[in-house]
Amino acid sequence: MRESSTVPEDVKQRLNWLLIFMVICLSILVISLWYLQMIKGEEFRERAIENCIRCLVEDAPRGRIYDRQEKLLVTNRPAVVVSVIPAEVDDLEKLSERLSKIIGISPEKISQTVKNYRENPFKPVKILDDCNTNKIIKIEERKDELKGVVLEVKPRRDYLYHDFAAHSLGYVGEIDKEELQQFGNPKFQGGDIIGKAGLEKYYDDILRGEKGGKEVEVDALGQEIATLLYQKPVPGEDLVLTIDRDLQLYGENLLFGKKGSIIVSDPNSGEILALVNRPSFSPNIFANGISSSDWQRLSSDADYPLTNRSVQGVYSPGSIFKVVTAIAALEEGITDRKRKIYCSGSFELAGQIFICWKETGHGSLSIVDGIAHSCNIYFYTLGKDLGIERFNKYLQKFGLGEKTGIDLPAEAIGTIPSAQWKKKEVKEIWFPGDTINLSIGQGYLLLTPLQVHNLITNIATEGEVYKLHLVKKIISADGNTVEEIKPEIYKKVDFSLDTFKIIKEGLRQTILKGTGWRANIKELAVAGKTGTAQNPQGETHAWFIGFAPYEDPEICITVFLENGGEGGETAAPIARAMLEKYYDIQK
Amino acid sequence: MKEKIDRLTENLDFSLLFATVFLCFYGLLVLYSSTRLATTGGSDPYFFVKRQSLWMLLGFLFLTIIISIDYHNLERYSKVIYFGAIVLLIMVIISGRSTYGARRWLAIGPFDFQPSEFAKIALIAFLADFLAKNKPKLDNFFYYLIPFAYTGLLILLVFMQPDLGTSLVYLAILIIMLFATGVKIKYLVFTFLAALSSIPVLWIFLKDYQKNRLILFLNPNLDPLGGGYNVIQSRIAIGSGGFLGNGIFSGLQSQLNFLPAQHTDFIFSVIGEELGFVGTILLLGLYAIILWRGIKIALEARDLLGTLLATGAVSLLFFHIVVNIGMAMGMLPATGLPLPFLSYGGSFMISNLMVIGILLNVELHKVKW
Repeated sequence: MRESSTVPEDVKQRLNWLLIFMVICLSILVISLWYLQMIKGEEFRERAIENCIRCLVEDAPRGRIYDRQEKLLVTNRPAVVVSVIPAEVDDLEKLSERLSKIIGISPEKISQTVKNYRENPFKPVKILDDCNTNKIIKIEERKDELKGVVLEVKPRRDYLYHDFAAHSLGYVGEIDKEELQQFGNPKFQGGDIIGKAGLEKYYDDILRGEKGGKEVEVDALGQEIATLLYQKPVPGEDLVLTIDRDLQLYGENLLFGKKGSIIVSDPNSGEILALVNRPSFSPNIFANGISSSDWQRLSSDADYPLTNRSVQGVYSPGSIFKVVTAIAALEEGITDRKRKIYCSGSFELAGQIFICWKETGHGSLSIVDGIAHSCNIYFYTLGKDLGIERFNKYLQKFGLGEKTGIDLPAEAIGTIPSAQWKKKEVKEIWFPGDTINLSIGQGYLLLTPLQVHNLITNIATEGEVYKLHLVKKIISADGNTVEEIKPEIYKKVDFSLDTFKIIKEGLRQTILKGTGWRANIKELAVAGKTGTAQNPQGETHAWFIGFAPYEDPEICITVFLENGGEGGETAAPIARAMLEKYYDIQK
Repeated sequence: MKEKIDRLTENLDFSLLFATVFLCFYGLLVLYSSTRLATTGGSDPYFFVKRQSLWMLLGFLFLTIIISIDYHNLERYSKVIYFGAIVLLIMVIISGRSTYGARRWLAIGPFDFQPSEFAKIALIAFLADFLAKNKPKLDNFFYYLIPFAYTGLLILLVFMQPDLGTSLVYLAILIIMLFATGVKIKYLVFTFLAALSSIPVLWIFLKDYQKNRLILFLNPNLDPLGGGYNVIQSRIAIGSGGFLGNGIFSGLQSQLNFLPAQHTDFIFSVIGEELGFVGTILLLGLYAIILWRGIKIALEARDLLGTLLATGAVSLLFFHIVVNIGMAMGMLPATGLPLPFLSYGGSFMISNLMVIGILLNVELHKVKW
């Protein structure tokens, strides 16, 4: 029945070739599968798991900051961030157009921002930070047309009084590349908020808390299917400052429109009650990620509003430095209560003439009067007799040229001239005239207002200086005290009680009958010293340092006005106002 | 009648039929795994499986019809079949339903069907008849070009939809059938070189997305979110299956929807992930049986027409298998060719079973009845 096939032989030949070809192709597939599944299996398995396990970070609320009476200064508020999840967008152009109409950012910019972000298609790309309520409502209403747009609530730093104590509080911002490299993983990830300046930076570890988060299984749309692991964030701890809100505010108003600092502290503990710096800025503009125009404006401002003058600024102290000269001379026995020096209005040393600020001269003066009237000639004489070597010994005892150790970052140390220093930095030998200049706080000497403040504290406490600090205690988020900051001795000097007594008397007389009369308060025995420092930047700097009450000091004050004119005229009244305010509060 | 059934049972290639049925059920299982969580069918996890089963039944009906008509009838009707396909393809371009910017579908009542799938069968039938009748004349180069013209018309119509993958299937069928017919190798080499040199010209006619696919094939990481995403996720899925796989219904990539088009073009990846090397080798084994039986049928056919019909059928299946699996593993560009008996899709399912019908038909008629 079966007839022989009529299929030509050459066709059969070809079919055999075809069969071989197919065998080869299928073999290649088998080998590839072997490679992919058997050899690379583990690697791909890990990638598959990585694909669907996401770590969702939950930020810890940053610790709040209170004043010494536990009045709230800095807190966190919820800010709404408008973001787009690239993987969920169907038509980016259309979406950008619609979103643009609501939030007012150009559609090109929106779509470009989304396109530029390539890392992870399921991660929201931030379009608008800190969106206002009106826009939020509009977005919520049009949710259906805005597929892929999400509103995320993020804690945002809120400085309640804007430019209040800005230099002390500092500000926060997104961690930058350098910081990331320095501190790095796993402590920080890109996009984390950290303290960038001031207390926010110094106490960052305490304020920041610990990020929590969860490990979730997600599907391809990034939707959570199951939570595998949950770690609750640990909120940051709160800081209670030594700052008194009202006194600080009062000081800031006094310096409004001026350049300078006011430091008010309790000499018996080192607690800073007010640390005023002007001009100032609002840390809130950093909290939302500062715009480049704001940054440009702040950083190029000729008045340096970002600089914490009391901690980072270095200035000629001028006549207030005479207290150091006086102490050194008394301790070295160069002068005593009785020694009188005659001021004719000028002083000659090695052919060079140095003049007193009072051209007609003070006549014959004791050391107490010398301080009270701030006679230059008196201190030239002491300085000449002291010599730079002995002088330097006392500068060291006061801790000048060192950081005060305040709990703020980037503290400056100033410039303390000495023979070696001059040789190294100016490439000149030390002339006797340099010592004369130093004896009245002029010349190469540069101090921070904080260092100057330690000088007056030293006198007020008669040799026991506590470390200046801004934080009184640390409390946990639920209100329990974690750590009470105890007063800590910064410097203890062993000058004789008599020395202190004479200096204090001089300072008291300064207020009663000398250059500091504008700081006199009837009800309060104030002691102090004024200073007017020549400087290469122009108008003289005005200084006032003081303490009160005279018999048993409770408060020390330093007022510094950059290019502020005469210390007695401008700084002393401000000190007086601060002291009056302080004692009003106490009543 | 009894005699007919006896002959049927005597001559029917049961291993071919068995492999086909096994593949169909294998396909339904994997389809269920990859679609049970899909939301397209509402809450019914069997939505896709039910529909696919219906296509299968229809496919077996077509298979039976094909078996019962002696393939020698083609000698009279091949041209009618060919022009029928042309008409359908023109209708698609004129009034087809479009999805994702391509017109591929014609509506018949509640169902859509894809004429380009049936045009494959028509092409095989037409070419087999044409080549069998004209084998000696093909030594003439100009005569050799005629089947290119016929096939070219189909390719052009499908390319206009546009459907690059299917038009490549037509070309593959033509080349393999010409090769089997015994045309001069130098002609084929020449054709290949001519095609190669015309690529720059064709490039101009490619749609942007087609160009992108080719670029992305060369470097899938270029756009991990767009076209390259599919291939990367597919490789991860297949690779992560390892030897035994994650177990059916438990592929991370497939169950969590990381795999795109996982019930159609990328269903192979689901097998790879959930059933591992064992599952993929089983699949390749079943295909190997079908292809081997197909070649055997071609070799044992009664005449050249039968041989070429079987060869065309084999070449169609072979091309789909290699291109689809190669694409899933990232070895070949993503052309969107589905996997025979596995990928979800009515027209494709039916045309696959019709191809098996052709093979069985040639097998049954290797002796005169």
